[in-house]
Amino acid sequence: MAGYLIRRLTTAILVVFGIILVTFLMLHIIAPSPAITVLGPKAQPAAIKAWNHANGFDKPWWDQFATYLGHLFQGNLGYSYHLNQSVSALLTEKAPLSGLLTIASLVLSILVALPLGIYQGVKRNSFGDITATSLAMIFYSMPTFLVALVLVQVFALSLKWVNPNVPQDQTLSGALAGWPDLIMPIVALTLTAVASYSRYQRSAALDVLAQDYIKVARAKGLSERLVYSRHLVRNASLPMITLIGLSLPLLIAGNLLVEYTFNINGLGLLFVNSLQGYDYNVLMAYTLITAVLTVVGNLIADICLTLSDPRIKLV
Amino acid sequence: MALLEVNNLSTHIAISSGSVQAVDGVSFHLEAGETLGLVGESGCGKSMTGLSLMRLLPPGGQLVGGSSVKLSGRELVDLPESEMRKIRGNEIAMVFQDPMSSLDPTKTIGYQVSEPVMLHRGASKAEALDRAAEVLGLVGLPKPKERLGDYPHQLSGGLRQRVMIAMALACEPKVLIADEPTTALDVTIQAQILTLLNDLKDRLGMAMILVTHDMGVVAGHADRINVMYAGRIVESTKTDELFSDMRHPYTQGLLASIPRLAQDNTQKLFTVPGLPPDLSNPPTGCRFAARCSYAQDDCRTEDPGLKGPKEHTFACFHPVDGPLDLTSSTTVADRSAPAAKEKRPLLEVTDLVKEFPVGGNLFGRNKAVVHAVSGVSLSLGYGETFGLVGESGCGKTTLGRMIVGLEKPNAGQVTLDGAQVGSLRGKALRRHRRDLQMMFQDPHASLDPRMRVGSILREPLQIQGIGTAQEQLSLVTDLLGEVGLPKSALERFPHEFSGGQRQRIGLARALTLHPKVIVADEPVSALDVSIRAQVLNLMKRLQASHDLSYVVISHDLAVVKYLADRIGVMYLGKMVEVGSGEDIYQRAAHPYTAGLLEAIPVPEPELEREKRGGGIKGELPSPVAPPSGCRFRTRCPLAQERCAEEEPAMRLFGDGHVAACHFPLQTPVSDTPVTVATPAGEAV
Repeated sequence: MAGYLIRRLTTAILVVFGIILVTFLMLHIIAPSPAITVLGPKAQPAAIKAWNHANGFDKPWWDQFATYLGHLFQGNLGYSYHLNQSVSALLTEKAPLSGLLTIASLVLSILVALPLGIYQGVKRNSFGDITATSLAMIFYSMPTFLVALVLVQVFALSLKWVNPNVPQDQTLSGALAGWPDLIMPIVALTLTAVASYSRYQRSAALDVLAQDYIKVARAKGLSERLVYSRHLVRNASLPMITLIGLSLPLLIAGNLLVEYTFNINGLGLLFVNSLQGYDYNVLMAYTLITAVLTVVGNLIADICLTLSDPRIKLV
Repeated sequence: MALLEVNNLSTHIAISSGSVQAVDGVSFHLEAGETLGLVGESGCGKSMTGLSLMRLLPPGGQLVGGSSVKLSGRELVDLPESEMRKIRGNEIAMVFQDPMSSLDPTKTIGYQVSEPVMLHRGASKAEALDRAAEVLGLVGLPKPKERLGDYPHQLSGGLRQRVMIAMALACEPKVLIADEPTTALDVTIQAQILTLLNDLKDRLGMAMILVTHDMGVVAGHADRINVMYAGRIVESTKTDELFSDMRHPYTQGLLASIPRLAQDNTQKLFTVPGLPPDLSNPPTGCRFAARCSYAQDDCRTEDPGLKGPKEHTFACFHPVDGPLDLTSSTTVADRSAPAAKEKRPLLEVTDLVKEFPVGGNLFGRNKAVVHAVSGVSLSLGYGETFGLVGESGCGKTTLGRMIVGLEKPNAGQVTLDGAQVGSLRGKALRRHRRDLQMMFQDPHASLDPRMRVGSILREPLQIQGIGTAQEQLSLVTDLLGEVGLPKSALERFPHEFSGGQRQRIGLARALTLHPKVIVADEPVSALDVSIRAQVLNLMKRLQASHDLSYVVISHDLAVVKYLADRIGVMYLGKMVEVGSGEDIYQRAAHPYTAGLLEAIPVPEPELEREKRGGGIKGELPSPVAPPSGCRFRTRCPLAQERCAEEEPAMRLFGDGHVAACHFPLQTPVSDTPVTVATPAGEAV
């Protein structure tokens, strides 16, 4: 296991390095320098040249890349020329709220989707299964922002149960103080995730139910309830572990739309704005986060799978 | 009063287009300590009968009113579900076919065996585990106490089936239903498991219902047999009487169509024509009438019903008297002697080696390899058939795939008609593939479900760029006729055909390019007995008319002996014996061949009963680390020290008969090692 972890972490570092390199190159091809952002659209070529020189943007790209990597190793994610703030400060400011949204919706969607999928598999083609399938199809095919807009219209504007605007307080404690306003964005994120997870969980449950060992369990005299709790749930949840691990970074991407819709000043919004303004270091940091999440999500999924499936050994 | 009394048991399964009468009015009884065989082909309702007794029906299935199942006088059919659960696994237990999928992969075997004990006897976890260890010991799992924490994937197929049996026996049931308990196992393991079931039945005083398609299995292990056809029992009597004095034409045909080891393979196999009826719309009258050569008008209108004296009942208006006289009803196939045409061999395989790496990772560690084929040589003459037999994992399929070039050997050569297959590349290789074709085991998986039969058959011609569309079409139509399918089949999809018909399509596909050699990998093992005989006859007929040579791979020695001129026996990647069918069957020199022959259940009750307890012990060693010297020595009754130290060389035992053994059962002709086995008829 230890050897496996070391090898996996080594590959993980290589993967993350590769992603940083590719993103860095692409950004440099699209916009070689942030000078215009800083100096304004009417800046003179001479001024741009001078600024580039002063900030090292006239050096060859590998030089610039080396500098960036060097800073990265010291924990310095660079400076946002757009927002005139260090990226680290921006992230510390915005990450807690986005993280809260992501984790809350992830936990919630697992809690809903796994039992729901198992139920659907067991009660295949029943009224409940068909209803759940139809709803899942609707939420799966609907863009997240549309789900969000519908939620706003129904629960905030028509029923007036919650505020259409979420708290603008960036700190975790501030946001939690106004927690009822966070319900809608979390629900919007959860609905989409539940829609896809429950479909997978349903088909995984159907696969397991078709296995001979379920028939064997019944032939032992176990009640249906015991057959499900002892022999179905664990086996049917195994494929979900990998799926959920892989979807960690997707949740961040889903955040983007929801944050935009609910006007939450989180990572998603930061990313959209930086994309529009060629905000180098913020974009780099965002890609880095996604890459790390992908790798970490995968690793966690593999470890969880080893712990729950005796057939898999990490060597 | 009988222990189990079944009366008028009928099970219908609702499907979207109606209902399938899977079991229809089945009645029988079972005494304590007795073994009742339930035999029939797939779809005849034998498994469904077993499941119906347990009331474990598939979705949509239900017992029809009037059905009665009495266990020690207690009616089970109308018991509430909660009471029925106390019967399952406690008084009636069941062993299923596939040991690979019948155990929960995430639970330890100790837990799985102790589960029914906790459930039915209210035992504590520790008590139940003790009991589990006890039963696991009873079924012959070595060191059961230490292995309680093992997971199913850590055990071989044979051991898993032992665990399954332990699970069923944990609560000492009165009735054990064994549903094809050995079908998924190799013959040597099958013999061990059947002996085990029989011993346990006697020791525990249970009654057993043995559900199987294999007449050989029931011949040796059942006291009485019910033959089922299309959801009904057609004949029921004592085992000996059924085999020697059957009355129903179906029983007669079923037994006659099984290829025997002693069979003269120049004669056609007896076949039962046609297919079993569709049970969602069964015919009126006798359900076998459409396939029966004795059928008359009354058979088609009136149901004969199970009649006759209590000890021998049968459902037939025009019963037969005993088995068919096979010698008079068969005709000699016109097949020229293979060696007469060409002296030189068509195909030569020399010292072929194939190793698959296992484990391994990004950094290239764990360099363990599976030694699938370790230096095998054989040769095949023009028009000859070479049979390859051996247990699963012996490398016979890998060898077949290397011969047709689907797998690249690590060492050694395949030479076809003088050309080395291994050195061919690109166009030459593609051209060469015309001469070597393959026929696969699974008729369901080997045809693309989304292609029409016409496209499937024409595809090889298109790839090779042979002929115009018109010519291709006429060739394909001719081929379909040859394999006995109508022209209309061209426009249909594979799922519209039965297993036997699909295997005919597979054969036609292999024939489209006029190959010289067809490698047939288990060509009939997925088929029912009556269909199997039809396909075997077809293969023989086409061999004569197309000048084909076959390499037939099978675990079934009788099938191989019927088709092949010469047979090679493989064990763990090595060829251990090569000889003619008669050499192998009557004069086996290698102890493994003899053990294999011993383990095969034959449909002759007296012979089978004598064999109890014989056969090869133990299981196949891992091909990752094969035993030193002779690979069979770990299971060989004759093994001595020399076997571990020195690998035996092939020695000659007669014309074309070679075997690799230090202590053979026959005296070798000479002690000089021979290298390649030569085709029959050629001077050695």
